[in-house]
Amino acid sequence: MARKVGYLIVLCLFGLVRAAPAPQAQPAANGTALAQLGRRLFFDTSLSTSGKLACATCHAPRYAYGPSNGQPSQLGGPGLNLQGLRAVPYLRYVLSRTPRWSAPFHADPLESLTDTDSAPSGGFARDGRFDTLHEQARTPFLAANEMANPSVASIVAKIGKATYVNQFKRLFGSNILQKPQQAFARTLEALERFQLDDSSFHPYTSKFDRYLQGKGTLSAAEQRGLQLFTDPGKGNCAACHSATPGADGSPPLFTDFSFAALGVPRNSRLAANANPRFYDLGMCGPLRSDQAITSRYCGMFKTPTLRNVAARKIFMHNGVFTDLADVVRFYASRDSLAAAWYPRKADGSINRYNDLPQAFRGNVDVADAPFNRSAGAPPALSQVEVGDIVAFLHTLTDADINMCTPVRTHLQVSPVSGRSGFD
Amino acid sequence: MSVTMNKITQQVLAKALIAAAALIAPCIGNAAQTDDGEHRIKHVFVITLENKNYDDTFSGVQDPYLNGTLKPMGAHLTRYYGTGHASLDNYIAMLSGQPSTLDTQSDCHIYADFRQTGITTDGIPIGNGCVYPATVKTLADQLKAAKLTWKGYMEDMGADPARESATCGHPALNSRDLTQSAQAPSAAVPTGDQYATRHNPFVYFHSIIDTPDCAANVVTLSKLEADLAAVATTPNFAFITPNLCNDGHDGDGTGATGATGKGCANKAPGGLASADVFLKTWVPKILASPAYKEDGLIVINFDESDAYSSAKETDQTGKTTIAITFKGETCCGQQAGPNVTRPLSEDFPVSAKLAYKMTVIGVGGDRVGAVLISPFIKPGTVSDTPYNHYSLLKSLEDIYGTGSYLGYANQHDLVSFGKDIFNNR
Repeated sequence: MARKVGYLIVLCLFGLVRAAPAPQAQPAANGTALAQLGRRLFFDTSLSTSGKLACATCHAPRYAYGPSNGQPSQLGGPGLNLQGLRAVPYLRYVLSRTPRWSAPFHADPLESLTDTDSAPSGGFARDGRFDTLHEQARTPFLAANEMANPSVASIVAKIGKATYVNQFKRLFGSNILQKPQQAFARTLEALERFQLDDSSFHPYTSKFDRYLQGKGTLSAAEQRGLQLFTDPGKGNCAACHSATPGADGSPPLFTDFSFAALGVPRNSRLAANANPRFYDLGMCGPLRSDQAITSRYCGMFKTPTLRNVAARKIFMHNGVFTDLADVVRFYASRDSLAAAWYPRKADGSINRYNDLPQAFRGNVDVADAPFNRSAGAPPALSQVEVGDIVAFLHTLTDADINMCTPVRTHLQVSPVSGRSGFD
Repeated sequence: MSVTMNKITQQVLAKALIAAAALIAPCIGNAAQTDDGEHRIKHVFVITLENKNYDDTFSGVQDPYLNGTLKPMGAHLTRYYGTGHASLDNYIAMLSGQPSTLDTQSDCHIYADFRQTGITTDGIPIGNGCVYPATVKTLADQLKAAKLTWKGYMEDMGADPARESATCGHPALNSRDLTQSAQAPSAAVPTGDQYATRHNPFVYFHSIIDTPDCAANVVTLSKLEADLAAVATTPNFAFITPNLCNDGHDGDGTGATGATGKGCANKAPGGLASADVFLKTWVPKILASPAYKEDGLIVINFDESDAYSSAKETDQTGKTTIAITFKGETCCGQQAGPNVTRPLSEDFPVSAKLAYKMTVIGVGGDRVGAVLISPFIKPGTVSDTPYNHYSLLKSLEDIYGTGSYLGYANQHDLVSFGKDIFNNR
């Protein structure tokens, strides 16, 4: 995608965190020894073949347990030169409340269509392929482009040399390391416990949280942005990124964990996309296999939380966008200004939804606002309104998040074609 | 002599009064004035299941307990009909006699107040919305006035406190209903939460939600077992709503797993299979309760049928439209009411290449059937008399002697459950 990106002066240097720093003291909520061990495991770079990659490397605490840099996907493998397939998601807020993946069926088609209960939702990872956090935790240890351990036994051997090995043995028995499968299972449980219980995963210290608590106010632009965010006829963002406090007053998570096919543009910065026949189809593969035959799911990815989204430097499952305002503009004008987002084919026509094979482009949501705009129609949001929504999204950033935001010397005016199309 | 004449006069007068009462009873209902089975019932348990057509329920293989055990124990109502599509309007009809509104027939995704713009000559509020003003009364209000007790038992309500309250669970007024979809288990909510507000009729009436009665009486299902322990703690009217899986709403009941699986959010099979398991769990508890044994009635019905016909058409551009048609059959002279019209036709675009066109021809909910069990019903009873949810409400009002009929339960010539059902004195 030939995007005309302005020069950036990056005030903070972001890169792969080679040696993950120990977190600030934030005791696990329940103080369990299991969670405390999980913390040690989470930050231990020695558990990777490279010796330089921990869970916390890609899920950096100071970035809401998300990526600290602007790479579309992170590098891993023995030489830290193998790119992942997808943008790393945040871990904050959603872990304990992520429901197991499900796609409830009901026989009544009237209710299938009028209710919202026919859409799949939940599961861990962007394709929802893991039902539990400990199932998910297994994959990075063994994935060739992540921690790249050759076997479970090799991971357990590394734990045997770790500074916390005695802590491990105290919890699981002195002979636990002689039983690698059991030791690995306990490792995954400890990681799960840390991520579920540690207060650093759910601080609720954003400006919006203070606003909800009656301890702060939103600016006029932020208020307008919130209104646009929730307005079903405008941004309609809250239809999936739930913005309403729970029945018990619990703060909103800004996701309903549902899946959607949005027709996000292809990202040429992903190495896998050098192969024109390769497509990341989300729920129906290639990383997930059990729904591969469910063609209506192809192209669907799970709705992420928008908490701390303004602290991200890459957006969408393939990291194609590097500017939050671009994301909002894309939502507002995907089909009405398609030439701004997609390249043209040889015949001059727009290659709409170009990160999906032709056969699955019909899965893309064209029914729900703001995606229900036809070609040539005005965008769902004006440029000012886009700015208001972005202003509101900034209120979702936690107080401890590193916001060393790149400062632009050029205003980015065009995604593809050199014209924004916004007023 | 005079004494004898007086006695005769008294006997004649007494007979005249009994005859008069017999004439009046069908109009106003009065349990104290009659002694047949129907009017000796004091405790009614309604279990409402979801979205099954008559043939699937009573000729299928997924519900052997309902079909093979419960049905022979009591009365099989072969021509019992739902009164609307989709869910919510059926529940509201059962509790209040109110007909569908544009919002209730679409299950009220926004939990909006009913905005009344007028009233029909037969007393039906005109308007749209979901939550009726306090002037619109329910069976619960009638029971309270009669100093009788009621409770709604809602499975899973409050399982996730962030999703809904454990008592009187409903969204904030005029906000989005987050219980439209079942919630699968998570670390925070290990059981998941498959409560659906739209299957809980009590919370659509200000006459209930604006009073402490709602929190006290609309409770989670787990409270039922303790309440059944004694007659004194068993409500006169118990409305029991299983969760979205156990009422058959979700899942196809086959238990198939994997990519082709069509189960519930918690991976249970759902459909009639899970509904049957629910009945097998709870009906024996009710049957064993002192209140049921003394004067009980169990009603097992379905809100609506899911029977439909479909046709697929692909146009020159390659866009496929799937037309789905519900008959919306009625019985018993059911009226549409002032707030909806039929046929109803609505388009649901799914993608650039796929759209659904939904048509509901009539205002009814189609034939679903029902099973009633009571000491006052002979085992193996079959009634082919047409009934619907309004008939159920009228029958309950007769049983409790409420003195009036609500909404379309007051429809002229509507038949309530009679001797065809309550045939065991």
